[in-house]
Amino acid sequence: MKTLLPKTAFTASLLALLPTAAATIYPLTLTDDLGRKVTLKAEPGRIISMVPGHSETLCAVGACGKLVGVDRYSDYPQQVARLPKVGDLFAPDVEAMVALRPDLVLVSQYSKLEGPLTQAGIPVFALDMEKYDEVFSKTLTLGRVVNREAQARALTLNMRREIARVEILTKNAVRKPTTYLEIDPTPYSVGPNSFMGVLLGKAGARNIVPAALGDFPKVDPELIVKANPQLMLGLDRRAAAARPGWAGLQAVRTGRVLDIPKDLNTILSRPGPRMPQALRGLARLVHPELFK
Amino acid sequence: MLGRTAALVLALCAAVVLAVGLGSVTIPPGEVLGALGRGVAGLWTGAELTGNDVIVWQLRLPRVAMGVLVGACLAVCGGAFQGVFRNPLADPYLLGVASGAGLGATVAIVAGWPRGSIPLTALAAALAAVSLTLTLAREGRRFPPTRLILAGVVVGSVLSAFTTFLILRGEDRARQVLAYTLGDLGFSGWPDVLTVLPYALAGCGVLVLLGRALDTLGLGDLTARSLGVPVERLRLLVVVAASVATAAAVAYVGIIGFVGLIVPHVARLAWGAGHRVLLPVSALLGGTLLVLADLLARTTVLSQVGVVTTLLGGPFFLWLLRRGRHE
Repeated sequence: MKTLLPKTAFTASLLALLPTAAATIYPLTLTDDLGRKVTLKAEPGRIISMVPGHSETLCAVGACGKLVGVDRYSDYPQQVARLPKVGDLFAPDVEAMVALRPDLVLVSQYSKLEGPLTQAGIPVFALDMEKYDEVFSKTLTLGRVVNREAQARALTLNMRREIARVEILTKNAVRKPTTYLEIDPTPYSVGPNSFMGVLLGKAGARNIVPAALGDFPKVDPELIVKANPQLMLGLDRRAAAARPGWAGLQAVRTGRVLDIPKDLNTILSRPGPRMPQALRGLARLVHPELFK
Repeated sequence: MLGRTAALVLALCAAVVLAVGLGSVTIPPGEVLGALGRGVAGLWTGAELTGNDVIVWQLRLPRVAMGVLVGACLAVCGGAFQGVFRNPLADPYLLGVASGAGLGATVAIVAGWPRGSIPLTALAAALAAVSLTLTLAREGRRFPPTRLILAGVVVGSVLSAFTTFLILRGEDRARQVLAYTLGDLGFSGWPDVLTVLPYALAGCGVLVLLGRALDTLGLGDLTARSLGVPVERLRLLVVVAASVATAAAVAYVGIIGFVGLIVPHVARLAWGAGHRVLLPVSALLGGTLLVLADLLARTTVLSQVGVVTTLLGGPFFLWLLRRGRHE
């Protein structure tokens, strides 16, 4: 009894704290990825998302109902697909956006929307999830912005748990194949520090691209020949064999050249709440034997 | 003169050995020559290549050979165009070859056709673009230079607009189109080299043989005609030969800028303006330059040969111009 009391008191005080910790207090001032200080006077209720991943995140934290418009690539979940489309990041339909009377527009730091929209009196928040860790930290930021902090925290916890589940599987893999992941046939690949590179590692593959080349480098075909990977992802076997000097590579000879299915490719290149799903798909390609 | 030309040939050979030796793996010149020997022997004995020999024969050598071919083509065609149009700003892309090839390649890339079909569509579209320019510029049986240039500019602009439209529509493949329009020797293999070779030899060969006639044309249409040069037929022949060679080169490696514009000028500054010397010298210089530019592209962050040629070629050329003025 003696020991129980303080514990209960502690738990009670924690519980008392929870609602305040979860609720965002407005006006809220945050620094966005453009380095601007953005102040939201009240909880935003009419949001336009110009980044497909952000649309997914908003829905995943239970703020789907706040969306009044999205960019033309936002297609998940289904609710989002039905919303009015207002162009895309690089060809935005500003007039259509203004007409939707949003009280917040979520953009990428690479768009040029903050000027015209701020002039129209609409708050703009620029956010990008580029590194693996940023997917979690910025999901929390988004949660804060829309007053769904607790849900955002639950979402990231859940994502980490799902990811850990796959990681536990792949950790036990006997052989981790050296892997070349192609995202563009020119050829572009992913460095181990990009979020896709991190996922590739977690899927139980050893990326042949050195970190020094950057996150999404154009690679010299020679480098791939020299590394002689056991697995190639992102192109088909015929295309790989047709490239000069590639026919003799391990992956080509053993038939371990796998194109990435279109659905998986979409979620793989879209940092956001479906990252665990992307990892699972990737791990299934790298280690089919673990998913029987 | 002969000494300088011999130096050029040596420079080209040195560039080739250097470019074959350097890259992700460094191969010393001795081993490069050894690998070349083993590869040639292998053609007869059928012995399989191993280790670095694979890199030398299947990756670097075809890429370097393509660089020599394309550099030579662009430089010779640029020199011939500058002569035939008496315009120092003329380059091999003057009559719309590049925008035609660009459009052809973009169609193939955006539509997702297999890689092998990209050069073919590019080649076909490039030749179609030149034919269109010729048709538009024609005045009876004559092809006046000003009309040719104007028609080339218009055809180029219109086709580029189409290309831009297609890129905007299929933007997930935009990077591939961009890589093409910046020029890239990336995946050049022996079959590609052997496909370009006959076009390059035929086109450049005709131009070099026409060197004396081009010199006469430099005196002006009237004088040339009075000296018995069939001016109109000559101009058409030069345009067609240069377009075929350029189109073939561009089809396989994309649009590499600047080589065709500056190399003939460099050659002219050092070797004089006579086309019989200028064109072969341009070929050697162009080949050397492109091989070295591609070496830089492969081994540095510049990563695309077209970026290197423009980035380094431009300032170098300006420096050369200023130096020429002070002397």
